Amino acid sequence: MTAGWRWPVWLSILVGIGLASTLHLAVGAKSIPWSDVWQALLAYDPSNSDHSVIRGSRLPRLWVAMVVGACLGLAGTVMQAVGDNPLADPGILGINSGAALFVVIGLLVLPGNDMSMIPLFAFSGALVAAIGVMLLAGRTPNPVRLTLSGAMMAALFGAITAILLLLDQQGLDSLRRWLTGSLGISGANLPAWLWPYIVAGMLLCLVNVRALNAYRLGAQVASSMGVNLLRMRLLSLVAVVLLSGCAVALAGPIGFVGLVVPHAARLLVGHDLRQLLLATPLLGGLLLVLADVVARTLVSPYGVNTGIVPALIGGPVFVALVLRKLK
Amino acid sequence: MSRWLTTPRRCPGLPWVGRPIDVLAALLLLVVLTGLTLYAASVGSYTTSMAQLWQSLFAADQTALPGNVLWELRLPRILLAILGGAAMALAGVLMQSLTRNPLAAPGLVGVEAGASVTMLLILVLWPQALPLPLYPLAALLGGLAVALFIVALSWRGGIAPLRLILVGVGLTAMLGAVADLLITYGNIDRVESALMWLGGSLHRSDWPQVQSLLIWLLVAGLPLLFCHRQLNLLQLGEGVALSRGLNAPVIMLLLLLCSVTLTAATVANIGVMTFVGLVAPHLARQLCGDRHGALLPLSALFGAVLVLLGDTLGRALLPPLQLPAGLVVAIIGAPYLLVLLARQRNR
Repeated sequence: MTAGWRWPVWLSILVGIGLASTLHLAVGAKSIPWSDVWQALLAYDPSNSDHSVIRGSRLPRLWVAMVVGACLGLAGTVMQAVGDNPLADPGILGINSGAALFVVIGLLVLPGNDMSMIPLFAFSGALVAAIGVMLLAGRTPNPVRLTLSGAMMAALFGAITAILLLLDQQGLDSLRRWLTGSLGISGANLPAWLWPYIVAGMLLCLVNVRALNAYRLGAQVASSMGVNLLRMRLLSLVAVVLLSGCAVALAGPIGFVGLVVPHAARLLVGHDLRQLLLATPLLGGLLLVLADVVARTLVSPYGVNTGIVPALIGGPVFVALVLRKLK
Repeated sequence: MSRWLTTPRRCPGLPWVGRPIDVLAALLLLVVLTGLTLYAASVGSYTTSMAQLWQSLFAADQTALPGNVLWELRLPRILLAILGGAAMALAGVLMQSLTRNPLAAPGLVGVEAGASVTMLLILVLWPQALPLPLYPLAALLGGLAVALFIVALSWRGGIAPLRLILVGVGLTAMLGAVADLLITYGNIDRVESALMWLGGSLHRSDWPQVQSLLIWLLVAGLPLLFCHRQLNLLQLGEGVALSRGLNAPVIMLLLLLCSVTLTAATVANIGVMTFVGLVAPHLARQLCGDRHGALLPLSALFGAVLVLLGDTLGRALLPPLQLPAGLVVAIIGAPYLLVLLARQRNR
């Protein structure tokens, strides 16, 4: 990198996150002045109702938004790097719907399980979907075929989920918010049992950085540089499954974050994966926090589901990417 | 023997596209379809025997119970399933040939998503806005509008298949988000009925719907059976088609319009049936390869059989409950499709 670390860019990302978080804490069903937000964070007063709203419900939601955004952004980056495909995204390739289907099956059909089983269901679903899409997509990298296989897998898993929910109206009523990606569902706090999976997924991404960077030159060049391609692909698969499974377990299937964020990050920090893998979690968190702000203020006081906002933004971005890349 | 069956132009009575084996396959499918029709007409919460069925079919008095059930409930439903399956299968063949991609589904250009969002808007937000008979028309218009928008976006001096597919996937996902929004915030009862419709259910079938679907099938589907030559040429690539004297952009646009119309008509009258359009052409291709002269009629037959089977199974599996035919077909058809495509993935 000739430019080295571009401090202004990184600084503005961090400042953006800070501003967005403060905005996220301040607006909502009841707007709270900024000074009170700061006070609630710095000098918490349990008797003040505004403070307890911020500490009790908005701050946890902010953390969930950041973690989910970071997971999805990283997963999208790794998928785009490994698949050598600018259109990859856990939502478009059906991985999120696979995870969602398995969670629905786990919650509705199998009796007697607690919330800590959800990530395991989500991982197995994500794994099944990822392997299915990879089998369908074939060996030669072909973005169109990959995208279509993903769309087909998503349609299949969606159909099965729909049947299950039709059979069980109560299940539909309780799960339909989760199924469109809602940050409010996981409730009070980031569950402690999710952390190991998230950290493992992020570490796997970091272990892979050098291999992925070399892979950008092409599979042959990379393997002649001593990269173990099979190991790289397996590790990336595990990382993607862990990260998107965690995101689904936390907030339901949220699409398009993994698509938009890597492209935005590439515009900002360039193509070096060492910087990309650091920038995408930050940008993903930023995007999801902003999306959550929009979702909560759009139809106040009800609030739209968070997953819908990235899809409404991301769809046009996807189309614009296609129209620009495919002349 | 097998050589005689697969050699073209051996039987003077057949059209030149046909081979004896195609006729055999078509006959076999027709027999299966007839058998399935008879079964579907007799099974249900009111079971009729074959003799009763035969009597009531020709009985002058249709107010008696068996005749009433047959004419008012079962026959329109069976006919609608057959017509819808055929239409979706034809639309699927067209889409797969036009994009030269075995994974292209007829809903690719956003017809289904557009129609779904329109129907959800009507069913969930303004249930009183339109009289019931106009619902299919509204879905048709919504689907067509979205499809035309996607085609216009991806237009580049002709239909560019790659752009069409990817723009379609993007916009479909976006419309899916809108549909999700409506599903999440609607009244749960209305959402339930809308989900039933989105799953491709035939439970509201009636004669007017059969009529409208039949008309659309005659307008947009029948001419396709005579377009096999153009489709065969397009399969070889646009360049080859051009050099053989085909006005490729115009023909492709017309064929795409046919596919979109067929899909929209089916979605409007039955509901979303994506997997029929994906699976039926592949089933037919196992029998006759890429020869469109035989592929088109055979996949139409396969589509009819699939939807009828899905609907009958959906009615018979969990008796008081009716599973939507589209979802049943998806569950039957998708594993087969996965195996098939995984086997030929390196092509």
